[in-house]
Amino acid sequence: MAIIVNLDVMMAKRKMSLNELSEKVDLTLANLSILKTGKAKAIRFSTLESICKALDCQPGDLLAFSKD
Amino acid sequence: MKPKLKTRTEGVLTILNILSWIAFLGFMIEAGGVLVSYGISYVHPEAARKMYMGLNLYSVSQFSFWHYTLSVSILVAIAIMKAFVFFLAIKILSKVNLMNPFTIDVVRIMERMVHVLLGTWFMAMASNAHTAWLLKETGELHGDWVATEFIFMAGLMFIISQVFKRGVEIQSENDLTV
Repeated sequence: MAIIVNLDVMMAKRKMSLNELSEKVDLTLANLSILKTGKAKAIRFSTLESICKALDCQPGDLLAFSKD
Repeated sequence: MKPKLKTRTEGVLTILNILSWIAFLGFMIEAGGVLVSYGISYVHPEAARKMYMGLNLYSVSQFSFWHYTLSVSILVAIAIMKAFVFFLAIKILSKVNLMNPFTIDVVRIMERMVHVLLGTWFMAMASNAHTAWLLKETGELHGDWVATEFIFMAGLMFIISQVFKRGVEIQSENDLTV
């Protein structure tokens, strides 16, 4: 996939576990796992906003584009 | 435990399920009835006069045993194929989940239904050709199929299955939206 989700990198930088993030952003572990493993087909702005708030980062820190 | 909310669609699907069971059993009984009459007509040829629901193949059995067997085979095959279509409909109705109705299993069953309906259409055409030939030879008509209804149903089912296929893609996209 051309869009890479760097959620795991940001979580490692903030030293936050998946469970902790799940509680903070009010998303199920299953959905966060889909996002983390790059299986997600789309992400809502509201989800992106809450993840950015919880991890104190910018959308660009979570998403990247690669030419492949 | 949360009580299950009964919707109107669920009620309609239950009625359709019951109707499909009735049609399935009806066609199986038809196939069985014709087969039993055929078996009895071995011993008592007069049984060919009352095959099933007034079907009289006595003159065909007297004309040629092989043509009589062919007629019975086609009749039984069409009845079994129709029963199979309803069996597939029962399978679809039992698999449909109103929360996530678009599944690849349902699409596969629908595509199978298209194939069976095409087969039924082909059998009905063969039956019509055979009946027309027998009409020429014996001067009597022994039932005529409206074959176009099967090809029409197959076409319609194919369109529905393609729409369902797109539904499966959209649903999977929706499921993978976080």
